Amino acid sequence: MHAVCALESGLCRYVLLSYGHSGRSGDSMMRMLAGMTGNDAVYGHFGAAGGYALAAQRAMHEMETGPETWKHIASGQRAWAGLNPDAMLHKRPLSEQEYLDSPYMIEPFRLHDNCLVSDGGRACILTTTERARNLPHPVVSIMGMGQHNPSADLLNADFLAGATGARQAGEQAFAMAQITTGDIDACQIYDCFTYTVEVTLQDYGFFAPGEGRTWFSGGTIAPGGRMPVNTSGGQLAEAYYMGLTPLTEAVMQLMGRCGNRQLGPETRTKTPGIILCSDNGAILQTHACYILRRY
Amino acid sequence: MTDSKPLPEINADNRVFWEKCREHVLTLQKCTDCGEFRNPPAFLCPGCLSRSAEWTPVSGKGSIYTFAVYHTAFHPGFKEEVPYVTAVVALAEGPRMMSNIVECPPENVFCGMPVEVTWRDADDLFSIPLFRPA
Repeated sequence: MHAVCALESGLCRYVLLSYGHSGRSGDSMMRMLAGMTGNDAVYGHFGAAGGYALAAQRAMHEMETGPETWKHIASGQRAWAGLNPDAMLHKRPLSEQEYLDSPYMIEPFRLHDNCLVSDGGRACILTTTERARNLPHPVVSIMGMGQHNPSADLLNADFLAGATGARQAGEQAFAMAQITTGDIDACQIYDCFTYTVEVTLQDYGFFAPGEGRTWFSGGTIAPGGRMPVNTSGGQLAEAYYMGLTPLTEAVMQLMGRCGNRQLGPETRTKTPGIILCSDNGAILQTHACYILRRY
Repeated sequence: MTDSKPLPEINADNRVFWEKCREHVLTLQKCTDCGEFRNPPAFLCPGCLSRSAEWTPVSGKGSIYTFAVYHTAFHPGFKEEVPYVTAVVALAEGPRMMSNIVECPPENVFCGMPVEVTWRDADDLFSIPLFRPA
């Protein structure tokens, strides 16, 4: 959003969005996670997983959700990773039963509810549509975007089970794009944990609270599904590059640069014209939504 | 006597909270203008932005808003504790606080469970407020 402002105001001609990290081979990611709970570390409250587990447990109390919903997300995204040779979990298929048999880490999350810690990075260059037309790649443009950051106060938050910031950010983005969920061909959703995917799509309006279990079942988000989600494998199965995992995947899918996992006839899915993507921060405390299209 | 778990870092906002914990008295800031209790400690009332507040003992009673069960210890001090339960406790006076649920098997913990404060003396300076079924 800042990049668009810088381009529109003429401050910049090209903006590089980049993320790179030695999260796996170094210890800085674990140090960051150990530090993020502040004095609540006194109680053994740890990292993002500890916070999202609290959110997911509250969601299980307020609506119909839990492992029977999340197993579809974990296994569906893993199937996409099977088509992506860059994915950390390439050729490591995950059945729904294997998901349910995996050990709890921070309950209600099992091992496969958690995203990866990765070495690597992603980058994306933004410019005006006018300039992009004269560049070698197909043009992908921003149809709509929105941002909503509900609260810095996690303890007293009333959004852990939704509506998260995705509700208002999504409304802003759909209003700007002048489309509805029915126009979306695929989604690239920030997926630090399986539950994040569920609550984000729920808040965008793809299904009503608690109806995710039905919506996700039957391979909805997997190759061949009616609404492909996180087609690189996402942060759960490809690699964790913060918001650039979903954003760059959306751009590459619309450009047609995704090889075996390319949306279209090869993966028995619709050739995408419009892809929605999300980013969120802290424990569902910040949210951004982008709707992109092939120009 | 130290039990090797992390200890709180004291700052100007939370100093009184932890001093009172040492006396086994759970104490929160209460806004002297609008009367609202607040947690975490802060120099402004999040409701009315007043700067004036009094540290006021609370009942130590509440209910579990949400919880998580750790099957892995991410800090060596908790290795012997797994599976242990972290919880957001909604205090009877309104604000919520992070804590642990003790004296209860993890599988019996649920959202809405009534709880009351109990204390763990971590060392000579710090006592940690924990909660058990009420």
